[in-house]
Amino acid sequence: MNRFARKLALVLSLALIVGAGCGKDNKNKSATKNSTAATKADIKVGAIFDLSGATADVGTPYSEGIRDYVEYRNAQGGIDGHKIAMTFQDFGYKVPQAEQLYQQYVSQGAKVFMGWGTGDTEALRPRVNTDKIPFMSASYAETLADPKVTPYNFFPGASYSQQMRIALQYISDQNKGKHVEVAVFHNDSPFGTSPLEDGKKYIADKKLNIGFKNYPMPAGATDYVAQIGQAKSQNAKYIIIQNVASPAAKLATNLAAQKSTAQVVCLNWCSDELFVKLAGPAAEKMIGVMPFSPPVEGVQGLDEINSFLKAKNSDAKAKGLHYVQGWYTMAVMSQGIENALKASGDNPTGEQIKAGLEKVTDFKTGVSDPITFTADYHAGLTSAPLFQVTGGVFKKIQDPIKIVK
Amino acid sequence: MTRFLQLTVNGLGNGAILALATLGFVLIYKATEVINFAQGQFLVIGSFVVYNANVTWGLPWPLAVVVGILAGILLGLAIERVILRRLVGESSLSVIMVTIGLASALFGIVLMTWGAEPKPSPKFIPSGSVKLFGDVSVGANRLWAVAVAVVVFVAVALFFQRSRHGVAMRAVADDQQAAMVQGISVNRIFAFAWALAGAAGAVGGVLLASINNGYSLELESFAILVFPVVILGGLDSVLGTVVGGMIIGLLVEYTKSYMNVNASQILPFVILVAILLVKPYGLFGQVRIERV
Amino acid sequence: MATATGVYNTTYRRDLGLRHTKAEYARLALLGVFAVVLPFRLDTYWLSYVNLILLAGIAAVGLMILTGYTGLISLATAGFLGVGAYGTANITNRLHWPMPLGVLGGTVIAAAIGAVFGLPALRVKGLYLAISTFAAQAILNNRFKDWPWLTQGHFSILANQPKIGGHQIHSDFEWYWLLLVITALVVWAGVNLFRTGFGRALIAIRDQDIAAEVIGVPVGRYKVLAFSIACGLAGFSGALGAHYRTVVTWERYDFDTSFLFVAMIIVGGLGSVSGAIYGAAFMTWVPAYITRVGQGLQQGSSGTPFIIRELPAIQLALFGVVIVAFLLYEPRGLARLWQRAKDYFRIWPFRY
Repeated sequence: MNRFARKLALVLSLALIVGAGCGKDNKNKSATKNSTAATKADIKVGAIFDLSGATADVGTPYSEGIRDYVEYRNAQGGIDGHKIAMTFQDFGYKVPQAEQLYQQYVSQGAKVFMGWGTGDTEALRPRVNTDKIPFMSASYAETLADPKVTPYNFFPGASYSQQMRIALQYISDQNKGKHVEVAVFHNDSPFGTSPLEDGKKYIADKKLNIGFKNYPMPAGATDYVAQIGQAKSQNAKYIIIQNVASPAAKLATNLAAQKSTAQVVCLNWCSDELFVKLAGPAAEKMIGVMPFSPPVEGVQGLDEINSFLKAKNSDAKAKGLHYVQGWYTMAVMSQGIENALKASGDNPTGEQIKAGLEKVTDFKTGVSDPITFTADYHAGLTSAPLFQVTGGVFKKIQDPIKIVK
Repeated sequence: MTRFLQLTVNGLGNGAILALATLGFVLIYKATEVINFAQGQFLVIGSFVVYNANVTWGLPWPLAVVVGILAGILLGLAIERVILRRLVGESSLSVIMVTIGLASALFGIVLMTWGAEPKPSPKFIPSGSVKLFGDVSVGANRLWAVAVAVVVFVAVALFFQRSRHGVAMRAVADDQQAAMVQGISVNRIFAFAWALAGAAGAVGGVLLASINNGYSLELESFAILVFPVVILGGLDSVLGTVVGGMIIGLLVEYTKSYMNVNASQILPFVILVAILLVKPYGLFGQVRIERV
Repeated sequence: MATATGVYNTTYRRDLGLRHTKAEYARLALLGVFAVVLPFRLDTYWLSYVNLILLAGIAAVGLMILTGYTGLISLATAGFLGVGAYGTANITNRLHWPMPLGVLGGTVIAAAIGAVFGLPALRVKGLYLAISTFAAQAILNNRFKDWPWLTQGHFSILANQPKIGGHQIHSDFEWYWLLLVITALVVWAGVNLFRTGFGRALIAIRDQDIAAEVIGVPVGRYKVLAFSIACGLAGFSGALGAHYRTVVTWERYDFDTSFLFVAMIIVGGLGSVSGAIYGAAFMTWVPAYITRVGQGLQQGSSGTPFIIRELPAIQLALFGVVIVAFLLYEPRGLARLWQRAKDYFRIWPFRY
């Protein structure tokens, strides 16, 4: 190339760079202008779901529940006239992906965030605090309920630790104080270990006559026969499972094959229809601690859902428990936003929505006890009923047990 | 004692499945010197096709298994033809990376076609428990796994010893150029190796699905244990696969029960590194002397 | 590589120089202008991506030195990112040392452990070595997950934001300048490494290690040293990343991330340090781009529910396809593509 052409190329590329830079800036400005105009501004919600990762089996119906609630609420005019604008994406339980999506949605104006599991919630915790974005997770780890540690994290159910206490109390009551051994099989991750220490502490505090040993269930294991062997030598009469449905079902099948007589008690993430389907006959007699009741006969709070799903040729029972759970999770968040709108006007900040959530008191769902958030405790429930699988269907066997800490 | 026997039986069963899963990997390496990171996906795809044929299409199970094996063969052939043939001569790192990318693409395809929800395990493999001597009970599906593995490995051994194609494969593995001089079509042998790997993956995958209590995407993570087995046994030895699989299967069960679960997860990999330091070509691998 | 003919060097110094022609200097200046203008033009979301690229680039340069120049395959990069991250978090939290010392400590620990896991390089080569690094990754990831001492029983540990001369760095904009300077220094060090005798010895090891031993290169020692350097740089990147994100969780340091780094150097082009940066940019940007395209499809289309429903699967598949396609059509990577582009302009209007 001759000298002139080269110099021209140099000048052109410089111009291109500067021009491209200016171009990007304008795009951003115009985007923000549009959203504040028009009648009542949309409430922007960011959400991440696990639709392809390790917990996709329960993540998929949960995500449908949340998305359908948004559709339902918007059809009714939104929250006080403000439509909910939810942007969501699958993150496959990959933490870096969760972070990028969070960054993106927040920079696009999301006021609140619907998260998923312990992994992503933990990783986003500091950012959520600095950015002041109320974060509703499907992880019910008790540390997330303490506003002194995580002021912007909320979850609508009973914490794993609380569920563990309920299970232990039930076991103790059933055995009228006689000594009994309990084996706790849990997911090999922070999700799984979350309730262990609190469970041990509860036994010590209330002087329950329970022997407590825990066995991790590693991912990708083909079976848990080795751990079952250890539990047998412990003489465990009860097996509490803190895991999601598929590995729990595998454990139940292994137990049945090993002719175990221990009573299986599942915490909320393995007490669902998927467990029953995968474990088949081995699921019989499983007792579930279920802060959210399964959509079976006699459970209230399913009318709205059923009438919404009728147009889609489905019903709550077909969609399952986690769908209903997702539905009401979004409903509670919407209530918090509604409280904030009433208190602080049309454009509530994250802090104001947090205050709005803390004002949610006795929010009735029908499928659970009334949900309450306070300024000291960000978990929605402290009680849960117990159901038992009889003939492949969940039947309530115990009214909600409430543990006062 | 019962506990020890129980663990031994279980470990041998797991080892048999591991050996089956590893067989495909070893076949490909033996013939083409390629490390196939997508072997786990072969397990998943082969087994899901069987599920599809058996449950979704309602075919009787022998036919469904045949369909699955065919699908595995086709998959292997397609990959070899479309992708690997173009990479002849490229650095081994590039080829590894292609198989990794392939694993990701296959995972996406499986997700798209069958969804993320695990499917109930194959009913045609009996999974009730069978009582062996004394108190030791083992799932019938494990016994089936061992039986199938024995049949498959004997067939493979005979194939390599007696049949023309088998001998040709061994020739190609030994010295490609000499094999070409003898008139062996190296391309065809490559295709053959990949096809066999796909088929082995399908069979292993179905057995694994039964033991795993469901066809699920996480079957693929089982394939990680392939590496310790292959290093222990020797990257290019079929006998090593069997022995290595058994040993790793047993050791994992013993550690899980007598120590704890975390130790059992690390142990295979610590063994891997130790073997590499002490006896790099494994128990039965071909020793290529190069001391540096 | 000169991009013009008729370049005569009259001193050794000029011969060893990194740039030879005015055109090359001009391009370098353009790059500088671009780097300075960039943060003012991007919003925080895209700027955070650039920061991620810079962070990844540091580890990618290390991996390029190990794999591209010394020919030793390593699948354990993510594990050493984790070692650096957990190292600095524990040092700053428990020993209460300031952040620079924490980062340094993390780097040193990663380099030391890297040397240990590099020992198999003294005994095995090629694919066997790759498998050994695979095992290293598995062991390290398992330790992050299951070693209570490391996290003192918590799910994750927090790392603090750095202070430079009393000023707290906390925004992406501020991090950009810090990371730009650090990455530029690392790249420059990497390029300079191959002007030294040690660097040339590494290349000799890659090409013909037995011959290298014969001419007197201490092959074993240099191989372990190369591992040390690569793992140390990975630890450095991980330590900085820990302070950037302020929270350290084990999920980030798994196989997938290791593979991502290997993809970076391959797509970038084995055998050039700048290739490492191109690769880092490409592999960080492509998933984001696919996500954006997916979201665009999601918002825009109502007539293709299949795509919306299967979006995560499509994105995964697409990611794999992109890697495979790249390797099929340009196995020598982005650096080679850039080379061909430069050659095209140099030789134009001739074809060759």
